[in-house]
Amino acid sequence: MGHELLRVPLTLNLTWRYAAGRSFSRFFRTLREEGRILGRRCPGCRRVYLPPRPLCGDCFRRLEEWVPVGPQGTLRAFTVVHFPFLDPTTGRPRPVPFGMGLVQLDGADTTVNHYLDETDLGRLRIGLRVEAVFREPREGTMGDIRGFRVFVS
Amino acid sequence: MKWRRRFAIIGTGQTRHGRQRDDVSQPELVREAARRALEDAELHVGDIEAVVLANMELFEGRAFPELWCAEGAAALGKPVLKIATGGTSGTSGAIAGALQVASGVFETVLVVGFEKQSEGQTAAGMALTDPLWDRHVASAAIGNFALSISQYLHARGVTPEQAARVVVKARRNAANNPYAHLQQPELTVEQVLASRVLAWPIHLLEMCPTSDGACAVVYASEAVARRRCPRPAWVRAVATRHDQPYIGDLDDRLVKMRTLRSAAREAYREAGIREPLRELDVAEIYEPVSYAELAWYEALDLCPDGEAARLIEDGVTAMDGELPVNPSGGVLSTNPVGASGVIRTAEAAIQVQGKGGKRQVGDVHLALVTGYGVYAWSDVLILSSRPG
Repeated sequence: MGHELLRVPLTLNLTWRYAAGRSFSRFFRTLREEGRILGRRCPGCRRVYLPPRPLCGDCFRRLEEWVPVGPQGTLRAFTVVHFPFLDPTTGRPRPVPFGMGLVQLDGADTTVNHYLDETDLGRLRIGLRVEAVFREPREGTMGDIRGFRVFVS
Repeated sequence: MKWRRRFAIIGTGQTRHGRQRDDVSQPELVREAARRALEDAELHVGDIEAVVLANMELFEGRAFPELWCAEGAAALGKPVLKIATGGTSGTSGAIAGALQVASGVFETVLVVGFEKQSEGQTAAGMALTDPLWDRHVASAAIGNFALSISQYLHARGVTPEQAARVVVKARRNAANNPYAHLQQPELTVEQVLASRVLAWPIHLLEMCPTSDGACAVVYASEAVARRRCPRPAWVRAVATRHDQPYIGDLDDRLVKMRTLRSAAREAYREAGIREPLRELDVAEIYEPVSYAELAWYEALDLCPDGEAARLIEDGVTAMDGELPVNPSGGVLSTNPVGASGVIRTAEAAIQVQGKGGKRQVGDVHLALVTGYGVYAWSDVLILSSRPG
C-alpha cells in the first residue's frame, strides 16, 4: 500500500429537450419557412430586441410587435479565436482559427453574437457591413444562421 | 438599504489554491477553508448559526454540493443557503451572509466558497447556457471578453503593453501571497505579449487560471464582534446588480458596465465615500482578464473614463501606489470560481485586520471588494476598520 492519490473518471452521454415557447417558436418557424429574421419591439422604450423574447427587462413590458430585421447589419465587435473551444452543439472542439462578432442587424437595437467567415484582422473593423449566411435546408433552430460574411453591395 | 445593526467579518480562512488539489476531495477542500476561518475567528462549530455556500456545481458535475460539503462547512443541523451565479457566486454569497447578520436574523454566519475546477468540465458548464440561442455560438469567457475588449480598444485606445502591465502587477503581487495559485515574481510585459493568442487581443498569460480552492469568512453581529475580535473588518456597504440575458443586449459592455457603475455608486454613498481613489486604502477587484481591470477602474470611478491606462502606467494601483489594487494577486493569479469572490472579501478583511504579512499594504481603514459574473453581473462590498 503506497500513498498514490487516485482520480475516479466518469463519462456521460445525455440528451435534453427544451421548450422554445411561443416567442422563439415563431422566430424559428419564420426562419425555417421564409428565411427571414424577426425581432420584437418594446412598446415602452421602443428598443427592438434580437433574439425576440416575451418581455423587455428594463421596462418589464410585454413585447407584442414583430419587426423584420437584417439580413444585413453592422459589425459592432469582433475577435479571431485561436483556442479550440468546446462547440456546445457537437461536444467537440471547434476548428481554429475562426472569427466571431457582435452584429447589429439593420432594424435591431441589440446585437447578435455569432461566427464570422473572416479571420483576417486586417479586414475586420468595427462598423464593417456584414450579412447573414443561412444553412440549407433550414431546420428551425438558431443553427439556421450559420454566421456572417462581409457584405459587398 | 436599511440594516438593523452593525456587523463585521471576524475571521477568514482559505486553502492553498492550485491547479489540481488531488490530495483532497471537494468536501475536504471545503473543510480546510472552514476550519481555518473558525480558528481565525476563535469560534467553535456550535458558535456558527447559519451557513452560506457558493459554488458552480455544473463545473464539477456534482449535484447538491450542500449535501456533500455541509459537514465540512460546519453546517449540520443549521440553515444552509447555496449561491450559484457564475463569477459572482462568491461575492453574492458574501453579500447573502452579510444580510443575514445585518437583518438581525443570525448572530454568526459562515460563508464558504469553493471550486475544484480540475475535477470537471468548466468549458462544458459554461457552454450549458441558454439552449435556444447562446449555446449555438458560445465561445466561453475568453471569446466573449475578446469581443467586448475590441469595443473597449475602439473607445479608449489602450495598448497591449498597458494591459500586460496589469498581469505583471497581479502575478508579482501573488508572489507575496502564500495561498495564490500562479506566483510569477519575474514575469515581464514582453513575456505576457509573447505568449500565444487565445482570442485576439487576449494572450494566454492575460487570462485567469483555472484553480482548485476554497475560502471562508465568518460574519458576526456587533455584540459578538466586539466580544471576540480585537480588530473586526466592519461591513459598511453591499450592493449587487444583474443585467439583461444576452451579451448582445449589453451596449458596449466593458465600456459602459452600467451594473458595476451603479453598484459602486450606491456602495460609496452608503459608506460616505466621495473620492474613491483618495479615500480607499486598498481594493480587491474581480479581474478575470487584463483589460477588465482597466475597464473596472473607470466603472469604479477611480479615474475619469479614458484614463485607466494612466493608473497602471504611473503605478497608482501598484503595492506602493496611492490605491493598491489586488495585493493578493487577484483572479488573474487564482480562480477557483465559486471561491473567487469570497477570496476577494477575505483578502479585503485581512488587509483591514492587518494580517496580510508580506502582502499587507499598510494601515487600512477602507477596503473595496468587487465581484463579476457571466456577462455583466456586479457585486460591491466595502469593509472598514471603523463601524461607521
